[in-house]
Amino acid sequence: MRGYRALARATARAALTYRFSLLLGMGAVLVQLVALLAVWRVILEQSPVNGFTWPQMRAYLLVAFAAGTVVSILGDFRMAFRILDGDVALDLVKPVDYQKARFAEALGGLWIEVLLIAAVVGVTLAVTGGVDLPAGRALALFAASMLLLVPLKFLIVYVSTLACFWTQNYMGVQWARLAVVNLLSGALIPLVYLPHWLATVAQWSPFAGLTSTPALIFLGRVHGPEALLLVAVQLGWVLALWFGARLVWRAALRRLTVNGG
Amino acid sequence: MPIVEARGLTKVFRRPDKGSGLAGSVKHLFARRYSDKVAVDHVDLSIEAGEAVAYVGPNGAGKSTTVKLLSGILVPTAGEVRIDGLHPQRDRTTVAYRIGVLFGQRTQLWWDLPVSESLAVLRDIYGVDHATYRKRLARFDEVLELGEILPVIGRKLSLGQRMRADLAAALIHGPQVVYLDEPTIGLDLAVKDRVREFFRSLRDEGVTVMLTSHDLADIEGFCRRLVIIDEGRIIFDGDLEAVKDQFARERILHVETERPVPLETLEASLPGAEIKIEETSLRYAVRFDRFAMTAGQVVTVLATLTELVDFRVDEPSIEDVIRRVYSGDLVLPR
Repeated sequence: MRGYRALARATARAALTYRFSLLLGMGAVLVQLVALLAVWRVILEQSPVNGFTWPQMRAYLLVAFAAGTVVSILGDFRMAFRILDGDVALDLVKPVDYQKARFAEALGGLWIEVLLIAAVVGVTLAVTGGVDLPAGRALALFAASMLLLVPLKFLIVYVSTLACFWTQNYMGVQWARLAVVNLLSGALIPLVYLPHWLATVAQWSPFAGLTSTPALIFLGRVHGPEALLLVAVQLGWVLALWFGARLVWRAALRRLTVNGG
Repeated sequence: MPIVEARGLTKVFRRPDKGSGLAGSVKHLFARRYSDKVAVDHVDLSIEAGEAVAYVGPNGAGKSTTVKLLSGILVPTAGEVRIDGLHPQRDRTTVAYRIGVLFGQRTQLWWDLPVSESLAVLRDIYGVDHATYRKRLARFDEVLELGEILPVIGRKLSLGQRMRADLAAALIHGPQVVYLDEPTIGLDLAVKDRVREFFRSLRDEGVTVMLTSHDLADIEGFCRRLVIIDEGRIIFDGDLEAVKDQFARERILHVETERPVPLETLEASLPGAEIKIEETSLRYAVRFDRFAMTAGQVVTVLATLTELVDFRVDEPSIEDVIRRVYSGDLVLPR
């Protein structure tokens, strides 16, 4: 445990040395949030669409922003470059589990992300007005869903980064992942706006758990057993991906070619 | 029981065969063709605890690949490796505590953190207690002058500083087996000397060391055992001094004489030696087999012909022997 904690701390410290680029990255996400808020405000001003009213959409977008910021600023690039450069060789001779070590690194940056989210959500609420918090059980489910989001998102990023063992390139992998995640998670538009068949696919995919599930629970658009089922799906994907990633890792090691010293 | 053991170790890499130019690359998209490259070919190796082994070979001979197989980084295509009886892939974490690996061309320091923090992370990863950690740091500081670079951020280190820091990083957990792959590459002479001294102190402590290097000066006076690999195969495995005795038996005596002596006279009085006139007619180079005659005998014979002003004996280094092996001039018995 001591080793994993040290890795988590080191990652956070390394990230903080790039405060400026961290803030720039946040700025970009913020601009996107403001743009989406503006667009939806115009669309929903007169009447709700697909059952979304303006205050609901505003809450949805804030949850989506929070979900999108968690486990986003750290880790995957370093891991990808170490695989592509062959420096991963040195990670392989450490007495730590590779997957757990990367997870520890992702967790290391979490508190920075939570601080940033709190600041942005606070400012947005102050400017555009408050949101209704869900009550009791729904709030607990929402919290559980947000917690599950952390390993889920880590695993999706982790597995896609392992693709570098095959592709020898990371940009393509990252762009493909972002495209799929943005569409199927509901980060861009809520899943009900998608064609019915696609919405169904997205619903059961691991991606819904990245935005749609916590957002819908927060809004109270799903509740009771239905909400519980969605959280269970999240948990199921976390477990499946955790063990699935180990199989991918084992295959990747067989692929590993490290040229030069 | 040997601490490092490899049996029939083989690694085959698959390389895409692309034709030349854009046309070749496009064609490769549709019809993929690969060729196999055997990097390491049925290598058998067993190293006893406390041995210092030099592992040498020309570029691309498979040295680094062997080291990566022996440390469990690469999965062998065939054959197997045991480290202290353990399987380096299956028992990866257990083996990790026992081995230390340094790749001269790679760093395991955190680029954005001071060296001291990188080392502290490694300390926690390996679970080294603080007292032992301080003791080891003090020792590294003694030989490698680590103290001055501890507060420096990783990316601001010079090459020599980085290598010293990386050596400390590779050894902070006190491994029993250490693989050093090109540990002096790109270093200036002063740092090289310091690093070599450090290797000797490691060996004297009983650490098993496998040293891979292009710079054969690294191995002289450090390793007793020499393993030569070429095209993935071990072509020699034996005692370094024995190789020198057997194949570096030639000596060259450079003499300067008072008066010129005709070459024929010299050749007649030193049968079996090969004599050449050097820059001036007063300087000669006498090449002889040290088992056929001694340098003293050669000097005595020359002194009867003329007065000697100066002389010196050149002894070939292991480097010469290995260079001849690489070029195929010399075939060492296995």
